[in-house]
Amino acid sequence: MPKKKANNRPEIEKKTEGQVSRRTVLKIGAAAGAAGVLAPSMLTSKEALGFQEIAEPVICVTPPTSPPHHPFVDDFTAPFPCDDHPLKPKPTEFPNLGAGEADRAPHPRWTQFSPAHFTYDMSAQAGLHTFHSDYSPTYIWGFNGQYPAPTLFGKYGKSGVVRFRNNLPTTTTTFGRNEITIHLHNGHHGSESDGFAGDFFGTGFWKDNLYPNCYAGLDAFGGNGDPREKMGSFWFHDHRAEFTLNNNVLGLNGMYIVYDQTDPGHEHPSSGSLQLPGYYGVTDFPLILVDHRFCPTSGGRTELVNAAGGDKFIVNGKIQPKMTVRRRKYRFRILNTGPTQTYDLTLIKPDGTVGTIVVVATDANFLEHPIPIDAGANAGNSNSTTTPIVPGGLRVSVAERYDIVIDFGQFNAGDKLYLKENRTMNVGNPSPDPLPPGLAIGNVMMQFNVVNREPWFPVDTPAIPSTLCTYPPLPATDNTWEWQFVLVGGRFRVKRPFDTIGCTFDPDHSAHCILQGTTEEWLLNNNIASGWTHPIHIHFEEFRTLKRFVNGVLVAELGNASLPMFPLASGRKDVSRLEAGQGALIKMQFRDYSGRYLIHCHNMAHEDNFMMVRWDIVPDAAALADCLANQQVCENEMKAKESYREEVA
Amino acid sequence: MDRRDVLLKPFEPHPSSPGATRYTNAVLRNQNNETVKFYDDLIRGKQCVVNFFYAECHGSCPAVTQTLKSIYRELKPRMGKDLFFYSITTKPEDDTTAALKHYAELRNADLPGWQFLTGDPYDIETIRFRLFGMDHPGFDGDLTLHSSYLRIINDARNSWGMAQAFATNKNILRRIAWQDPPKSYAERVIDSRARQVIIEQEVKKYGYRRDSMT
Repeated sequence: MPKKKANNRPEIEKKTEGQVSRRTVLKIGAAAGAAGVLAPSMLTSKEALGFQEIAEPVICVTPPTSPPHHPFVDDFTAPFPCDDHPLKPKPTEFPNLGAGEADRAPHPRWTQFSPAHFTYDMSAQAGLHTFHSDYSPTYIWGFNGQYPAPTLFGKYGKSGVVRFRNNLPTTTTTFGRNEITIHLHNGHHGSESDGFAGDFFGTGFWKDNLYPNCYAGLDAFGGNGDPREKMGSFWFHDHRAEFTLNNNVLGLNGMYIVYDQTDPGHEHPSSGSLQLPGYYGVTDFPLILVDHRFCPTSGGRTELVNAAGGDKFIVNGKIQPKMTVRRRKYRFRILNTGPTQTYDLTLIKPDGTVGTIVVVATDANFLEHPIPIDAGANAGNSNSTTTPIVPGGLRVSVAERYDIVIDFGQFNAGDKLYLKENRTMNVGNPSPDPLPPGLAIGNVMMQFNVVNREPWFPVDTPAIPSTLCTYPPLPATDNTWEWQFVLVGGRFRVKRPFDTIGCTFDPDHSAHCILQGTTEEWLLNNNIASGWTHPIHIHFEEFRTLKRFVNGVLVAELGNASLPMFPLASGRKDVSRLEAGQGALIKMQFRDYSGRYLIHCHNMAHEDNFMMVRWDIVPDAAALADCLANQQVCENEMKAKESYREEVA
Repeated sequence: MDRRDVLLKPFEPHPSSPGATRYTNAVLRNQNNETVKFYDDLIRGKQCVVNFFYAECHGSCPAVTQTLKSIYRELKPRMGKDLFFYSITTKPEDDTTAALKHYAELRNADLPGWQFLTGDPYDIETIRFRLFGMDHPGFDGDLTLHSSYLRIINDARNSWGMAQAFATNKNILRRIAWQDPPKSYAERVIDSRARQVIIEQEVKKYGYRRDSMT
């Protein structure tokens, strides 16, 4: 889509949201429809090649509070759609070292997925972004200098190559590390394109990630895989070992949306389409959550502070924005980019009661049946299990995505609705509009202003279908495995039951070897009894949650001690939120590719320490034997060290 | 900046280094009974590995010292020049400078660039909280915790890393290298090409890039 429409851009950019004619919207489709809503200063990657020098920030002492701001001043917008862009030199199977590409394994299945249909050029570089009109610009690291990054689009059956360039400053006064490795969360693709945490590359290099935009099941189903494995709302982010939090706080992340026949990126009754709200930036918006702390500096700018737990909540790069919505259905693709906090979101109606949001997808996967969440009978649908369920609250851990539909057609023109977060932010100014009873301004993420649909605005979509998809049956289990998430010696670790102290992230050590084409059940155990929640992310394929457990259950005892399964946990996912003292049994397939992948806690402060390990998919029995033998070498060395301790003791 | 230059230049902190406000300038004494200021003399502009131990500890401490000794051998050309080890006692009441000297000599660890340090108990606790603290009283108050972890600091880059002493030596060395002074583009190109040769050999032999110990 963006490829064909690129020549429409100059005309669209001049318009504002109110000026986009319906005909234009329909004509230009989803991607370009957002153009008018967005900042005109979008840098295409071509322009980015001559990117300007941005002065490094003046570092300040962490302030107790960020500067005050006025609520509902800035407009809520979708990140700009990235322009499809021809790559020179052309992508190659083996890295083009002569042209500046970083070392990597050759792209697997290259003949099948080349030449790429979509090609994007994404330059990681310093930029300036204004988080609020009351604020002076803020130094960020963004893709093509943008915050949040431009949104990438893909389509099932059409492969894509994204060229990630490291044009970050060679020296920086910030807390970031100018080495990057970009993970597409959670693409089914080769390990060389997976942003493995140890494969980071420095400034001056670039690297092509091949995203085949295929369904899982290439080997078994042939062609483009099993369409029942469809996913939609991906995101990409830096995964540099030890510095993931720092680089993500600075802004190195963005959304990647993949369409297919069921979810085509428009609202026409085309064959197979579910007809969900689907015009990007018009009726279908990413809703990217992050918290930051700011301080004004002598450099004349408002800079980000390197501290987890910010006191300003940010939606798509703006603090407490406002959004004009027509009386119809909208889709929001909620993404929490963290770096560490969890959101409990509720929709607050004008009378102060909780409104209904309908969850249609969990972590990029359609639910089989949409799940409405409200304060009434469906309150328990929150995927939370221990800490108090916020009535009607949708709990979003770091890296989780929830696609939701809100029907503003049930409200009147002039109504104001609010997206509420359970925690409180620092505002410093009263709301310009009277808030619904019981709602404090510090809990408001954003404001929705309901207006009547203008004739040119797309008409409402039909009711959400009661069945969105059918999940493929799960094959028989070949192996069971257990990962424990523990504190050892005061640090977070991943541990296997037979380990004394558990693994650290070691790029040279696979903690688990899996034969390609097999299916495993993994027990994920949060063995820390109190306090910490761990959103556990597994790379490569989506999993299904079979059961949830209380703490300490071993694989051998799986029949016991089940916790109730909450409806939202029944969806296919790639992040499993483990509350303190809880476990989940998940089932996952390892198909089509071999290579090095990761399991880690997505609280970025945890993964940057030691709560991340590598596991491998190996192509054949010989490679499996080698993988296990190498694992043994590492374990013998570690055991020798541990036994030294015991002997001395 | 070229790594060779670093060896010839005086130790310069990174402009964003929090300096003594984070690290403190506590006055410590080493195994040779010399007085050192923690930030100015030990951290400022330098790359170093810091761990906590005490002489009578029979749990993980001897094993950690053993590990540091074996990675010291690998890093010997840099030790005392642009890389330093600091082992700080958590029981300064017991560990006099003479006791530290005895501990180091007994383990053949009295080596250039490796200091065993004692000092005022309050100062040492402050340093331990600043380097290893998790802002959690239940964890930070426990002296036995963090004893097997190595804090890796490069003040010239203003960067922090951490390693676990019971991980493989290769992993510890890699984590120290992750905080090395930045290499020039030309040096990184040479490294990248060398890695590519190994990657392609592995893909040919095993069917995937396996980056491993052997």
